[in-house]
Amino acid sequence: MTLSEAEKTFILHGVQENFRIDGRNRDDYRPMELETSIITHAFGSARLRLANTDVVVTVKVEIDVPFPDRPLEGKMEFFIDCSANATPDFEGRGGENLATEISNTLTAAYSSNSVFDYTKLCILKGRKCWKIYVDILILECGGNLYDAISIAVKAALWNTSIPLVKSVTIDGNNVDMNVSENLSDCIKLDISAAPLMVTLCKIGDHCVVDPTSAEEQCSQGAIVVAISKGKFSTVFQTGGGSLHPLTLMEKLKLGAKVGNRLEEALSEALSKIKENGEMGFLN
Amino acid sequence: MPVDHKRINGPENTIPYKLYTKLNVKSFKEALQDAVKNGVRNDKRKLDEHRRIFMKTDIVSQAKGSAYIEIGNTKVVVSVFDPREIPNKNEYSLNGELYCEFKFAPFSCPKRRLHQQDAEEKQNSIVMKQALEPAVCRHEFPNFQVDVYALVLENDGSALSAAITCAGLALAQAGIPMFDIITSVTIGIQGDLKLLDPMLHEETLCYTSINKNSKTGKNSHGIVILSLLNTHQQVTEFYQVGSLDIDDIEECTKVLTEANKVVVPLVEKCLAKHVIKGVKESSQ
Repeated sequence: MTLSEAEKTFILHGVQENFRIDGRNRDDYRPMELETSIITHAFGSARLRLANTDVVVTVKVEIDVPFPDRPLEGKMEFFIDCSANATPDFEGRGGENLATEISNTLTAAYSSNSVFDYTKLCILKGRKCWKIYVDILILECGGNLYDAISIAVKAALWNTSIPLVKSVTIDGNNVDMNVSENLSDCIKLDISAAPLMVTLCKIGDHCVVDPTSAEEQCSQGAIVVAISKGKFSTVFQTGGGSLHPLTLMEKLKLGAKVGNRLEEALSEALSKIKENGEMGFLN
Repeated sequence: MPVDHKRINGPENTIPYKLYTKLNVKSFKEALQDAVKNGVRNDKRKLDEHRRIFMKTDIVSQAKGSAYIEIGNTKVVVSVFDPREIPNKNEYSLNGELYCEFKFAPFSCPKRRLHQQDAEEKQNSIVMKQALEPAVCRHEFPNFQVDVYALVLENDGSALSAAITCAGLALAQAGIPMFDIITSVTIGIQGDLKLLDPMLHEETLCYTSINKNSKTGKNSHGIVILSLLNTHQQVTEFYQVGSLDIDDIEECTKVLTEANKVVVPLVEKCLAKHVIKGVKESSQ
């Protein structure tokens, strides 16, 4: 989608008047829809639809060997598939840059041990640990990918259940594990501190939250902040613009405020989701 | 760079021997106490003091512009090549582009780096691109891209900052039109300590929370990299990892803005030297 100068001016004026093209305020989100446990083969999954942005996140858990320098910690990795269904720009290797940018930002946001406790994923020191694969599929791209993905990732991790390891036996060099067969014997991950990302898009003199793709085109740069329990876990400037240090601080404060609000809304939504709710069109 | 599938990278499961030495047994807390004693760091620096910086332009004769920087033991070479048409692009883009590639040399870190770019290097490339783009007059070369290659020869902390400052210098030497001199400084935070221009072991200390379980100590930790156009007072890239609250970030921004001001005259001096040399050569 390309915009003409007149359209861009229209959006810019709307942002100045605090009345955006879809009637929102500058710090309002578009309506969201969240579903969890939608994929049976995954250990946890979530689908988030934020107006026109649609992402599916699935979590797979497998057994791996811990990093030699961190023998007590498990691993987590993020993979993003920018499918060409989302926008024609992603065709071929078009989405690759965006995918590495998002997955690296997610890795950075989840890297701290005060955000996610990796020691919980350790099975046997230096020998066995759980590795969490978070696969993100972008189905439709209507702006504000970062926020949508981070919410979906948090919901999918909330939904994830890790099989219970009953016992570990060591025989010489072989490590044998006994994993509980009972499906209800599962460990839930503690995701209370998992970060949520907020994109602040600078349009004119103001910053908007949750930009549509049209607004993203008018922006002179954006800041992505990852907020975990009111603290910043990652800040990342993107989109080719620059900011005055004072403006930057203002944006960061706004980001923290919005992030906390988003976290409250998400935990409220998650608490409403019933255990073992049936999913799909057939029910 | 296209991935070379034929290259044999050697066994992937090798690990540095240091993991087995006694030094490694130290807990994070002890390591932190060793790193900072009474507000003085291992190399006798104060907390808010830079390491010694050396810069030189015109290092690579094949490149349009190049620069070399040493910050303490961190050594980075950056080369910038002539603008060329953006490859594989259908649409005409009004603004030129920068292509940045950040690479650790295989021997630059305690652990051997592989030839292919790993996730960290890719992320650093993206951060570098974002930091440099606002400094360059991209409208001056529409539909063209300028290639910037940064190679870290030795990593002793703050390598990304060094690469950005050095790339700014190399771009200027290459004659790429720019708005301002770009500089970048890193700060590491662990609890109440704020370590400007951290060394590698200090950086590692800042990545994990040490006081996590104790209720008393402050458990902020993280790394902040700030790139600044000094005359315009514009932050081109603010990159933070870790867990910090807003007050920490505010303080860090202040410290880093001041710290960047210290680096600017060094870059200016280096560029002036380059110009004087050019004038002398042409008059002969």
